[in-house]
Amino acid sequence: MLEVKNLRKEYGPLVAVEGVSFNLQPGDIFGFIGSNGAGKTTTIRMLSTLLEPTSGTASLNNADIRKDPMDVRRMIGYMPDFFGLYDDVKVWEYLDFFAAIYQVPTKQRADVIDNVLELTDLTVKKQSFVQSLSRGMQQRLCLARCLVHDPAMLLLDEPASGLDPRARAELKELIAELGRMGKIVIVSSHILPELADFCNTVGIIEKGQLLAFGPVNKIVEGMQPNRVLSAKLISNHAEAARVLTDLPNVLSVEVAGDGELRMDFNGDHEQQSELLTLLVNRGFKVIGFREEHADLEDVFLKLTTGAVQ
Amino acid sequence: MNKLMWQELVTKNPMLIEIARFRRRFLSFSGSNALNGVVLGLAVVCYIGIVMLVFSARGSLPPIMLVIAQTFVFVFATPSILYGAIAGEREKRTWDLLLAAPITQDQIVVGKFIGAMAAIGVGFGLFLFPILVSAFEYQTTNWHDLMLAEIVSATFVTSIATVTLFFSARTKRGFMALGTVLATLAIFLLIVPLLAVAVLQDSILVSLTNFFHPFFVLTHLATTSVSGSGEYIGGMHDFSWGWPQIFAYVISSAIFLVWTARTLHFAENDVKFLPANKDA
Repeated sequence: MLEVKNLRKEYGPLVAVEGVSFNLQPGDIFGFIGSNGAGKTTTIRMLSTLLEPTSGTASLNNADIRKDPMDVRRMIGYMPDFFGLYDDVKVWEYLDFFAAIYQVPTKQRADVIDNVLELTDLTVKKQSFVQSLSRGMQQRLCLARCLVHDPAMLLLDEPASGLDPRARAELKELIAELGRMGKIVIVSSHILPELADFCNTVGIIEKGQLLAFGPVNKIVEGMQPNRVLSAKLISNHAEAARVLTDLPNVLSVEVAGDGELRMDFNGDHEQQSELLTLLVNRGFKVIGFREEHADLEDVFLKLTTGAVQ
Repeated sequence: MNKLMWQELVTKNPMLIEIARFRRRFLSFSGSNALNGVVLGLAVVCYIGIVMLVFSARGSLPPIMLVIAQTFVFVFATPSILYGAIAGEREKRTWDLLLAAPITQDQIVVGKFIGAMAAIGVGFGLFLFPILVSAFEYQTTNWHDLMLAEIVSATFVTSIATVTLFFSARTKRGFMALGTVLATLAIFLLIVPLLAVAVLQDSILVSLTNFFHPFFVLTHLATTSVSGSGEYIGGMHDFSWGWPQIFAYVISSAIFLVWTARTLHFAENDVKFLPANKDA
């Protein structure tokens, strides 16, 4: 279990991370969302013991990042937002090197390397030089490196940046698999759709502050308590808007630029159906009617100021 | 050093992968850098030239002169091999991976050092062949002094290796480390001795400067070392030349090695020559 308590990092007068707190359980895949410079990487570097927090702390399975950094390092796999590969070693040597660093017993290393190569689909590249791998393969090799010691937690900083769509899809599947294996996975990104797909928990950080934390659907629901319905008519938009405004479950109506009516609605599905029936019965020519679902991107845009670029 | 520490730092140090990396980079034509292959090719040609020179000299070449040549070569070769040992990790951004792993600073430094010394050791081994040929053919070889000269050369090169490692640990860019080391060597080997002679002239400081100057020591050994009892005034009888310098080079190597290990407490983006904060 990961417990983060009031983590704070200052660089002189600049507060990079301000009082970040959250807890994660084994199997959680946590998407850490924020603009560039929001504090994601600083937080991850503190959790990886690379940076010492100015105040606050975090503990992984009761090992404190400040008091027991070596114990924490043994339990984490850290993948920074760059490859960090040696260009004059072979794939298996690279993994063997890190397996040795993580004190994997010598007799087990060959099997461990074979297993992580299989998991990351790099078995055929075992004897290749690292620099000869494609970008996607290098990214997978970095992930393989993180796995050689079977860590309890993975810290993946922008793992999909620069990857092509296929490599991204493969990486997403791999991360989901790691979550199913019971590992805590922290993934930072500012590409929201890729996180929403496989994270069961997200945190939104802006200017060093954690603005929201929790399951994706709960955060979305929290940000949008009412449903948003959209109706597309051929004509008479203004009149339809007046009619809809008078209905008890419709909180507000606006006519969008494309002639679509968007309304905040707090009724249930039956009342939603009645609303459509009413529009049709009143003679409005409805050519489209749907419920708009807010996504992580909408929540992120609502929560953040966008001041940090 | 107890057995556990010996295992941690030497026999079971994962950083010994550096030996394979140095071998691939500097002693292999199939390495990742074509330039290294060209340099290695030139080195092979030069080596063959030296061996041919020794054979053609037919006993007229004092073996300690070859030790001097060897030292000269490694004054440049050692920083060239080691300048990127740690600064290069920062440039390639592999440094964070090491700092976030359960490996000690001592293991990193000792591993890098052993890797570099293995590569340098191969070079010394290759030089040993012409030196031995010359020694056997040279009629008045004093084996004690030859061994002493070889140890002076090896310990001085070791101290250069540790100084290079130190600067590599304290700079962000490899070439900055290389420039700093070469400048330091130029000051120690060239500028200070010349200034001492020009400004101070026959003072005790000049003697002191020469006393720790490896080329002065080696030249002294070469000129005074004669086999037999007649006019011999070499290292075997005069302990002020050879052993004190060896001792000084070993001590300086140990100091720089420990100092290097004690400076590796800052993360990749927080490099400062005199770090105020002690992150990571």
